[in-house]
Amino acid sequence: MSTVTPNTAVKLWQDQRVALRWIVRKSLAVWIIVIGIVIWLIVSRSSSFLASSNISDVLSDTVVLGLVGVGETFVILSAGIDLSVGSMATLTCVLSAGLINGHASLVAPVILLMAVGGVVLGIAQGLLVAKAGIQPFIVTLTSYFILAGIAYAYTAIPIGSVPDGLSNAFFASLGPIPWFFLITLAVGVILSGLLSRTRVGRHIYAVGGNSAMARAAGVNVTRVTVLCYMISGVLAALAGCVLAIRSGVGVPNAGSGLELLAITTVVVGGTSLVGGRGRLIGTAGGVLLLALVQNAFLLLNISSYYESVVTGVVIVAAVALFIRHD
Amino acid sequence: MLTYTDSASNSDRLGRPLFEARRISKSFPGVIALRGVDLTCRAGSVHALIGGNGAGKSTLVSIITGIAQPDSGELFLDGVRFQPRSPREALKAGVVAVYQELAVLPNLSALDNIALGQEITRRVGWLDRRKERDRIWEALEALGAEELNLDAESEELSVAQLQIVEIARSLVHKARVLVLDEPSAVLAGRELNNLFSVVRALAAQGVAVLYISHRLSDITELCDEITVLRDGRLVSNGPASEYDTNRIIEDMVGHKLSAGAAASEGKIGPIVLEVDKLMLPGTEPTGINLQVHAGEVVGLAGLMGSGRSRILRSIAGLEHPGSGSVKVKGKELRRSSIRSAIRHGVALIPEERKTQGLVLDMSLAHNITLGILRRVARLGILLRPAEKAAVDNGTSRLAIQSPNTRQKVRNLSGGTQQKVVLAKWLATEPAVLLLDEPTRGIDVGTKTELYRIIQALAETGIATVLVSSDLPELLALSNRVLVLSGGRIVAELAGGDASEDSVLEIVVRHEQGAAS
Repeated sequence: MSTVTPNTAVKLWQDQRVALRWIVRKSLAVWIIVIGIVIWLIVSRSSSFLASSNISDVLSDTVVLGLVGVGETFVILSAGIDLSVGSMATLTCVLSAGLINGHASLVAPVILLMAVGGVVLGIAQGLLVAKAGIQPFIVTLTSYFILAGIAYAYTAIPIGSVPDGLSNAFFASLGPIPWFFLITLAVGVILSGLLSRTRVGRHIYAVGGNSAMARAAGVNVTRVTVLCYMISGVLAALAGCVLAIRSGVGVPNAGSGLELLAITTVVVGGTSLVGGRGRLIGTAGGVLLLALVQNAFLLLNISSYYESVVTGVVIVAAVALFIRHD
Repeated sequence: MLTYTDSASNSDRLGRPLFEARRISKSFPGVIALRGVDLTCRAGSVHALIGGNGAGKSTLVSIITGIAQPDSGELFLDGVRFQPRSPREALKAGVVAVYQELAVLPNLSALDNIALGQEITRRVGWLDRRKERDRIWEALEALGAEELNLDAESEELSVAQLQIVEIARSLVHKARVLVLDEPSAVLAGRELNNLFSVVRALAAQGVAVLYISHRLSDITELCDEITVLRDGRLVSNGPASEYDTNRIIEDMVGHKLSAGAAASEGKIGPIVLEVDKLMLPGTEPTGINLQVHAGEVVGLAGLMGSGRSRILRSIAGLEHPGSGSVKVKGKELRRSSIRSAIRHGVALIPEERKTQGLVLDMSLAHNITLGILRRVARLGILLRPAEKAAVDNGTSRLAIQSPNTRQKVRNLSGGTQQKVVLAKWLATEPAVLLLDEPTRGIDVGTKTELYRIIQALAETGIATVLVSSDLPELLALSNRVLVLSGGRIVAELAGGDASEDSVLEIVVRHEQGAAS
């Protein structure tokens, strides 16, 4: 029968609600918007959007944002916030380019050094939050200023250089898919496994849900908190290196504003700002969403001045449409 | 070593001592919480820890579970000295607590909650969910709670189910000593019986259970041994067979509540507060009718969740009643309007003074004048002399002894804080005073003082409604006692006729009636 009786209508409505809840719970809401934009771009700008070079551009744009967004997800899941990622990326961008200064042999050791710097930053911030009990916002706001200050003291003008081979490698791709994107994706998948399948991952959710309860259940809250800030610190440091590689030189302010973009990808991805709920798949959607919005402006040839406005509207829409029912 | 190895048969039946606390003392700034308390819990037995508010039960529990450290005294586990410095250390040793505020994380599933802190992993911390599930299943079977849905998000579970989650967690933790803090407070009927059988199953496996409860029926039905605390001291302990309800209550309150507390003898005036068919959402639609005269103290008795506080909150406009009206001196209040209630002279002294009654970081003086700023100001500018007069009036009326009215309220003792809350509301010159657990967590000396204040206020013609879990206190202060169950009034007793036994009997009868 094709007629919809009241009963089946109610059932349909309930099924939809259940489906919506499922989508929200699994942090997939943002993907609906992402798919919507992709379809819209395919329909309206099919040839230029689907061009291999354009896809490659979009995916390249997700690398830096993806790295910091993933790190930020860990911190926010643990009920913290990390405002230092932008400054950290700026600092490692200018430092790595300055230290490498064209020497191919220095690339690996310098990047390793930057990662170690990220670990140190993470440990310091994590301990200040978990041990000293200072609010995450304040701890990381302090780092934000200090790291930006150090970067500025180091250089106020473009500095150093990255070997051409490496800079070109940033755009090397497998078909339309850049290698750097694949590496970032791999990092995300591994860390997603860490979150959902390991003891420490579950402890991160527990600490973010209620750190006092987690402590009472025997979770080492300090260690878990430090780990989250460490992951964020390392990924921010690596994002800075990627910024240097992409532009070939150390650019002052390369990472400015990145912390807010990172938080945006996390929030749009459905992760709760008070911690304990969310998944990396959501952040991945958030990253892709921001990259697509940027790309849409390019393809539609609209002044990028309006980009922030549209991004803002998209954030509110994403959060309002799929707000968690809790 | 043991305080009551009175008969061989007793200790045989009760099993060997598994956990002991000896001469535990602990004080906090301004309060001595425990004075040389002993406690012995035996393997396979359920031990009741009883005491009124402020008796020191919670402090003792936090010492046992490593949240707080004693000032002096020793703990022994299996005859070996035991000094937990953190909950984790206590957990490792097998001492687990299930608190009244359930420690279940709403963002994790039941399975994840039970496994939390005890996850089974393969290499590099990778979770072995199948093994976890098997082990938890075993625990649930041992508890007879196989129907729990392990994959449910815990925010979808009922309170009773959450409790099972916590108790299962303690089994997975290989608990040897399990502390249950007021586990039955929110349960009734089948759920309560379920809890009892779970506790018995645990004891049968050799766990020493320390059971804290205000419900005397729980204790007589479930517990093997009893320890009673009062004001931080050990009053008595022994096998449950040596206690009856009367002895438990006597030990809890000391003497029948004594000098200083007696219902006001003053004249009862005209009706001041009139509540008509007030209905609390989620309860039976019979509604509540209540009339309080000037100079009268009406006590509301009942268990937690019987609606006592909600009635007060509805009268004061803090909660939205489903229907019904509230009149003060014949004038009807606007429903769920706090301003309207205050304007007509309703003052509510809330249950949680720290979060609902005070701005902790403001001074004593500023807290007192918070409700009357309009009166001590001209054109919005505060007048110091007027403010000072109001503060002086409050402090002298309530005998608030604080050297400095500029002191932060946070640093005052609980008793003084409560007086500040009262002073704030008295400054508004109320006609109706609603007191919600006015003496909770307050030392005995200040309690007696508060009793006198409450009587003196009634004598000035204020209509008072009193809610208190401290039954002797409630009976002593009230001219009339109304017994509540499930959001409605089930009995009314004149002050003279009401005894603790009669009230308890009515409460128990109705709770069971509601349950079956």
